[in-house]
Amino acid sequence: MSRSRLVYIVLLFTAILVGTVDMRISSSRAFFRWRRALVEQDNLKRQLMRKELQLEELLNPSVISEHVNRGERVP
Amino acid sequence: MRTHRLMLVFHVLIMVVFGLLCWRVYFLQHCQADFYADEGYRSLHASSRQEPQRGRIFDSGGRRGRVLAASNKVQTVFVDASLLGHWDDVMETAAKLQKILDIDAAEICDTISNRRRQRFIRVKEGITESQREAIISANLRGVGIDVQWRRFYPMGDLTSHVVGFIGGSTDPNDWDRIGLAGIERTYESQLKGTRGNHVFLVDTRRYPIGLDTSRSMAARDGSSVVLTIDSTIQEFTRSALTKQIRAYEAESGVAIVMDPWTGAILAMVSLPDFDPSDFGKADAGRLRNRAVSDPFEPGSIFKPIVVAAALDKGLIRTTDHFYCEDGYYAKYRIGEWANNRFGNMSVKAILTESSNIGMAKIGQKMGQTALYDGVRLFGFGQPTGVDMPGEDAGMLRPPREWSSYTVTRIPYGHEISVTAIQVTRAFAILANGGSPVTPHMVQSIIDDAGNVTQVGRRANLAGHLIKPEVAAWLVREAMVSVIKEGTGKEAALGKWQSWGKTGTANIAMGGGYDSVNYTASFVGGAPADVPRVVTLVSIRKPNKALGKGYSGGRVAAPVFREIMEKTMAYLEESVQ
Repeated sequence: MSRSRLVYIVLLFTAILVGTVDMRISSSRAFFRWRRALVEQDNLKRQLMRKELQLEELLNPSVISEHVNRGERVP
Repeated sequence: MRTHRLMLVFHVLIMVVFGLLCWRVYFLQHCQADFYADEGYRSLHASSRQEPQRGRIFDSGGRRGRVLAASNKVQTVFVDASLLGHWDDVMETAAKLQKILDIDAAEICDTISNRRRQRFIRVKEGITESQREAIISANLRGVGIDVQWRRFYPMGDLTSHVVGFIGGSTDPNDWDRIGLAGIERTYESQLKGTRGNHVFLVDTRRYPIGLDTSRSMAARDGSSVVLTIDSTIQEFTRSALTKQIRAYEAESGVAIVMDPWTGAILAMVSLPDFDPSDFGKADAGRLRNRAVSDPFEPGSIFKPIVVAAALDKGLIRTTDHFYCEDGYYAKYRIGEWANNRFGNMSVKAILTESSNIGMAKIGQKMGQTALYDGVRLFGFGQPTGVDMPGEDAGMLRPPREWSSYTVTRIPYGHEISVTAIQVTRAFAILANGGSPVTPHMVQSIIDDAGNVTQVGRRANLAGHLIKPEVAAWLVREAMVSVIKEGTGKEAALGKWQSWGKTGTANIAMGGGYDSVNYTASFVGGAPADVPRVVTLVSIRKPNKALGKGYSGGRVAAPVFREIMEKTMAYLEESVQ
């Protein structure tokens, strides 16, 4: 085996290893971003739901009745 | 020779060591294989349980269903006391949390110091987004944020008995919160959903680096339930009943509004009620849905049922007259309401004036078997099948257990106990021309994929429990007459012709009757030609000492009028 061929094989092997590690790190980062996006989405859903429940409380017929009976403007 | 012996010993030793190694390999690979496979799996994987979102409960709500119950995630700040070594750490953490959560640091210190060994000490539930971000950026040791589902009831006590509530399971092996009352309990299996489990591949520091999809299972959220209840009608009903209970200092009351053509319940109120978000503070009396679980002697509201059964079987005719003993039927010890003295009365007049003696004579004419069969035909003595937990069947004894008086008592609503839902259903049968209906609360179920299953069903209008002409005569003639000329004048509506029957029943106690307390009831509907709604109002123990009256016509009929005036106008407006 010639020396240049040996160097080529060593470099190729090293490149493959580096590439594999890089792909693995990229995969982990992508997974982390995906999970973070899921958590953020979950968080936004929770906030939206909280607003919806607040709205439902404001539109509760009992609350509206109380305002009407007191002659107040319904909020 | 000596060298040869040493070599032999050496060989034997090598063989023994090799044998031990082989045994060790066998032990690890075979005997301990499962243990090390699990250890290897555990070091590479981590799992996280995913709780499903419990289904929502909506009302029928006209144009859009209002949310009656829904689950949302709530963030709770907790402290792991085992990670806070010294008292100085606790004080420092408490001081930082004070700034973020606006809770006194001394209070936080007290909470932690009382439970120094616990790994989950709740500091504050329901933090805001800005508080969450502040805690994350502060990166406090031993402080974490837990996220859990919590049930919300935006309508508060308005629909408490209908919707019910959730709480801890009674099963010691199950820590889940399950439906304990109302729709939450009846539809528990549809609402709860299925728990999921995420399995992650982790690195050496236990940080997740991927999802093991082959072993993971996503949670399935619970189905949502759409009720037949309309919150607006519920509010009309609740506010009218509450006002009257306060005015008459009554013990309790129930009201039901039903569509007689489908059995759909538009409103169901049982007072006193409770806040489902804080049901732990309510006593057992408040938690009970009296509309389905409390049987009572119905009194005169039962009279149209017996007359319907008698007319249907041809045992009496609408033109028949009965002598009402001039106010006292001595043989059977029956008097009239308010000491009225009636002579000959038509069937219509018996209902209009609510004559007990007239009804006793109708009962005698029917006889035990026909009376029992007729009452059973309307579903008394058996549960209606309404989708509410804890329904009582009421009490209707078989004829073999009757005394000689019973046949004269049941026709005016004594010696029988019924629930409010049973009476409402019976009047719905009269209102729709004699067809059976099943009272129900749920009109549809929507699963997490959006598929809709219809649950509510219309009455079988092809089949009749009683002849349509009998039902029509009772509604349009006899019970309209109760409103126009009889005991139910307070139930007259301005725009629509109402019909119905009053009832003032003694409360049975200890083998006799309470001479002071009564149940005042009114049940009826409107309009008379094609009834749109049937409503029952029953108020228990109005305070007689107030001197304002205690009869069904005085106490319950005005509540019926208020509910019906508003409901009919609302329904007409909804159609337009």
